[in-house]
Amino acid sequence: MDHTPYIDAAAATLGLKITAGQRPGVTRFFTLAAEMAALVQGLPLTPADESGQVFRPVSPDLGEGAP
Amino acid sequence: MTDATATATAATVTAAAVRGGSLAARSAVQASLDAIAATDGRINAFTAVLAERAHKRADLVDTSPRRARMRLAGVPFAVKNLFDVAGIPTLAGSKIEATAAPARRDAVLIRRLEAEGAVLVGALNMDEYAYGFTTENSHAGACHNPHDLARISGGSSGGSAAAVAAGQVPLALGSDTNGSIRVPASLCGTYGLKPTYGRLPRTGSYPFVASLDHLGPFARNVADLALCYDLLQGPDDDDPACAQRSIETTADVLDRGAGGLRVGVLGGWFREMALPEALAAVDRVAAALGTSRLVELPEAQRARAAAFLISAAEGGALHLPDLRQRAHDFDPHTRDRFLANALIPAAWAVQAQRVRHWFARRVAKALQTVDVLIAPATPCTAPIIGTEWLEISGQRLPARPSLGLLTQPISCIGLPVATVPLWGCNPALPHLPIGVQLIAAPWREDHCLRVAAALEAQGVCSAPVAALG
Repeated sequence: MDHTPYIDAAAATLGLKITAGQRPGVTRFFTLAAEMAALVQGLPLTPADESGQVFRPVSPDLGEGAP
Repeated sequence: MTDATATATAATVTAAAVRGGSLAARSAVQASLDAIAATDGRINAFTAVLAERAHKRADLVDTSPRRARMRLAGVPFAVKNLFDVAGIPTLAGSKIEATAAPARRDAVLIRRLEAEGAVLVGALNMDEYAYGFTTENSHAGACHNPHDLARISGGSSGGSAAAVAAGQVPLALGSDTNGSIRVPASLCGTYGLKPTYGRLPRTGSYPFVASLDHLGPFARNVADLALCYDLLQGPDDDDPACAQRSIETTADVLDRGAGGLRVGVLGGWFREMALPEALAAVDRVAAALGTSRLVELPEAQRARAAAFLISAAEGGALHLPDLRQRAHDFDPHTRDRFLANALIPAAWAVQAQRVRHWFARRVAKALQTVDVLIAPATPCTAPIIGTEWLEISGQRLPARPSLGLLTQPISCIGLPVATVPLWGCNPALPHLPIGVQLIAAPWREDHCLRVAAALEAQGVCSAPVAALG
């Protein structure tokens, strides 16, 4: 799959300039990430499968931990 | 003990001598500084040597009324340069952070060790922003493996493992997001501990991937590793991932050995992606522990992919402002990867986090019937600096990311792991070590360390100081 159109569009959206010298490396690594994405997306999950990212609310008692 | 041998000596022995008055903390620290001066031109482990600070701190230990009770009295140590050290910028292996404001105070873990009499002597080389497994840092230069100077130290905590292996310090601290304690410990032949995710506070360290970042110690024997880890423990409210758990000591249970612990050998991915020397190391450990039980974790390759994507997405987002403004200042080894990572679609990262949780639940089930799992820490012994490709399982794979193939599925789900070093597993390169991961259920670092101590006592594992001449 050619990821070039996505790379160009996403980079422009994020305000990233990818130089000619950087482009081969960026494309190579993005392609590797896409292969990893195919692996994680290939695992059948249900809506009940929770994220591994869990947020812990910050108590006002936490001193410097609170903003 | 003579002053000259102080850094080649166990931390517990040095501390006992300082506590008892037969060795001055200043002498122990000077021996470390002398060892660094004598060897670091060949190793390149240190990016900053803090002699003045160390001397002042050592003098405080020598004159402290608490000296006789300090558990690390006069023990020199060093930290990966992503730990905040008051008065110097926290480089995190980068050129970009060199112009940042100096840290205002030491990282929490440095403060905890120094409260017990340990003395920080310097900051250590690493892969830029902890994104690598080799410590071939373009800004600071490559860190060389003390056991074979032509080879990598591993990374990203390469300086930490190399400094311990070279006898420059008996203890060092590093970080592990995808294997960055376990990989260099394996390649440099030291012990290393990646505790449970959330066990040790990361406050005052430069982050890489908040979802996966762990901190932990390196040492040349298990008693030192366990004592250091015990003294690092305790919650800290400034790290939102740090668990509110009381200290659960391990140094006092090492003599229980591995008796009563159920041990299994990880199969599937963990054998398929290992070269013969890695399999030989695991088989030697399994034989010493009297186990032939094979345990398969489902979907380990997908767990590795999840860790890869979570790291990419969080790391790319973290550095987005600098990638926009000064991408040319990144290390060429990391720059294009960070640029690619900044473009990762949210759907990939979100799915990776869900796979992570799915995998954690399946592994938890496996850990209901076994206490410790054994796997190689790296697929192979240390490659030559500059190696681009590895042949593993009939595949030609890029060398640098592939060094983490066997560590990433485990740190992805935050399990505690002690890495233990074995020798002579590759008959063609008998001078090179390779590490084995001892993996336990969350919060059971005691199990990892008990097995590590048993293997050390049997002579299966050891971490000698490299013969640098």
